[in-house]
Amino acid sequence: MTTIAERRNAAQHDSPGQPGAASNRPGRSKARALRRRRILVGWSFILPNFLGFALFTLVPVIAAFVLAFMHWDAYNAPTWAGIDNFTRLIGDDSFHVALANTCLYALGHVPLTLAIALGLALLLNQKLRGIAFFRVAIFFPYITSLVAVAIVWNMLFNPTTGPVNQFLHLIGIADAPGWTASTTWALPAVIITSVWRDMGYYMVLFLAGLQAIPHEYYEAAEVDGAGRWQKFWNVTLPSLRPTTFLVLVLLSVSSFKVFDLIFVMTQGGPGRATLVLSQLIYQDGIINGQFGYSSAISLVLFVIVLIVTVFQFKLQQRRER
Amino acid sequence: MRMKRTLIAAGTVTAALILAGCAGTPSSNAGGSSSGKTTLSISVWNYDKTPEFKALFDAFEKANPSITIQPVDILAANYEDKVTTMLAGGDTTDIITVKNLTDYAGYASKKQFLNVNDIAKDLPADKIPALKDYDFKGVHYAIPYRQDFSVLFYNKDMFTTAGVADPANLTWKEFAADAQKLTTGSGADKVYGAYLHTWNSIVQGYAAAQTGGSPLSGKYDWMKDQYDLTLGMQKAGTTLDWATANSQQTSYQTMFETGKAAMVPMGTWLIAPLLADAKTGTNKINWGIAPLPQIKANGKIVTDGGPTGFGINKTAKNVAAAKKFLAFAAGQEGAKAVASIGIVPAYHSDAITKQYFGLEGMPQDAISKTAYNPDEVNLDSPVSSTAAQIGTILNEEHQLIMTGSKSVDDGIAEMESRVKSEGLVK
Repeated sequence: MTTIAERRNAAQHDSPGQPGAASNRPGRSKARALRRRRILVGWSFILPNFLGFALFTLVPVIAAFVLAFMHWDAYNAPTWAGIDNFTRLIGDDSFHVALANTCLYALGHVPLTLAIALGLALLLNQKLRGIAFFRVAIFFPYITSLVAVAIVWNMLFNPTTGPVNQFLHLIGIADAPGWTASTTWALPAVIITSVWRDMGYYMVLFLAGLQAIPHEYYEAAEVDGAGRWQKFWNVTLPSLRPTTFLVLVLLSVSSFKVFDLIFVMTQGGPGRATLVLSQLIYQDGIINGQFGYSSAISLVLFVIVLIVTVFQFKLQQRRER
Repeated sequence: MRMKRTLIAAGTVTAALILAGCAGTPSSNAGGSSSGKTTLSISVWNYDKTPEFKALFDAFEKANPSITIQPVDILAANYEDKVTTMLAGGDTTDIITVKNLTDYAGYASKKQFLNVNDIAKDLPADKIPALKDYDFKGVHYAIPYRQDFSVLFYNKDMFTTAGVADPANLTWKEFAADAQKLTTGSGADKVYGAYLHTWNSIVQGYAAAQTGGSPLSGKYDWMKDQYDLTLGMQKAGTTLDWATANSQQTSYQTMFETGKAAMVPMGTWLIAPLLADAKTGTNKINWGIAPLPQIKANGKIVTDGGPTGFGINKTAKNVAAAKKFLAFAAGQEGAKAVASIGIVPAYHSDAITKQYFGLEGMPQDAISKTAYNPDEVNLDSPVSSTAAQIGTILNEEHQLIMTGSKSVDDGIAEMESRVKSEGLVK
């Protein structure tokens, strides 16, 4: 990065009007020294964080990329596997199941959380006495321990004695779903729990976005005779676009990486009904000691997340044009 | 220029600090043989709540005053993962406690432990039946100190009240019939005749041990009858259904101690907590143990079980002391220490049995004593490097069968096709 001062210095010394090369040299070296100093200062600010990142994230990530092409039990020396791990992946039934479940989870979790968080933000973006209480109440699930959330929702979803099904019976649904005990309903149950947990956090992001919209826009719209719906559609939504984009990216990435909630709630069961990629990685790597194969799966997961994110960025760029 | 120098200095200091942090070696007890005293480190789980370790360590230290034991305490739930990580990181803990045979297969196939055939050879194999369970391709990588097996825990008072004869030698069919007679009440007050825990071993392990079927065979038709029986009981409501037990994470110990179930087939590891809870007053029931119900009614008691043992880390610093400990733990002295708190030791002898039944609160009837000496204790699964992966598949299909998502036949067919397609059996 060159600063204006630097460019000015450089321009002074290198200007074509300068006579003689001899007087030119010390000036140039001074500029270079200054520049180097600036770079060093810049680095010194980034360095502490970068070192931590490099040590605990970058190096393991690169190691995982290499490991994906090896057989390794985490103890004995790794052996080269070529694309063995990937050919195994293509034929691995559990991988197909986990991939499908991960996509289904994302398809359910992303739009639902987005819509509910936006709805709540609109509802709570009012100047009412005690509104802060409701905002905190809705944010609360996000700061609650995930294990507690998973265990409590497991109880709520209990097919026979759980309050959810008792309520469903009460309103006349005789054949209530088996939730976490049923292969069909386990994934929806997990999605519902995760939406409930995450909505508060994304609501706060949307609230911040809403409060940044200048009031004049709404006044202008009102002058033009816009109704509530038109104001939402033509003022609120377009103004929220940067926030929506951020929420969308964060949500998609977290959906594809989901692990903790499922691990505590269902452990991937019943059968493989809620098995997701992260859990398969854990199972094949940590439990079965096949670190090469589990690295190959994580590489695939990485590529999926990358594609989804790049696609969203491209879409956003096109919209902004 | 001055600023530059400061920066470089700062950078050097930061780098030095980071390197120092990374290279942090356990300096205090590495080597551990200063002033003639050896410090032996042993990995254990939930040290405070697993009294067998302390009993064993105290007895060993008393017999060997020159050796001090340093337990490396690990949370039980994370034990396997943590040990895997430790060993991969070159940890020098001398002795690793082997929690189950699936883990053992992993350590042995990776050759992470020392060959201890020399210790195994000197031990009385006839008194330690579990010794052979650790034979991995002719090499012992660990030595057992306890051997648990499945028995039937039953609530004596509930049997008397219902007028049912004590379960001296039941078949599984008779077990189901008794469960029917012992089931009472409904809703929140319901008392189940039996509680069958959610583990796949409760169906598959018993079937394997009593029919001779093996999870490594790739053929699972031998599970069918046991599944039909279990699902039948679930349907009749004589046992808590699998889905509820699983979603509530039901504790088998609580089910039994609170009198919610009259019969609980479970490993002998449940005896020690029942004795301990009786002392504190949490467990007030009048209980006994009976032989595990049988598939074949030929009078022989065949049950499933497996050893717990110790292995010596390949990177151990105190190998001689570690070998001494392994031999001690497997032998009579170790057995005495373990049995003193209600744990079933690997070493069997009349004296140990007598000591065991002399414990305060231990049932004294003849049925319990018969149950304590089964004719055959078979492994759920032979030791193999593919055991963990096959186990995962069998457990996933178990869940599908128990929740009714798949019929027994479809579930078994799926097990067979999956272990084949993943190349786990030939």
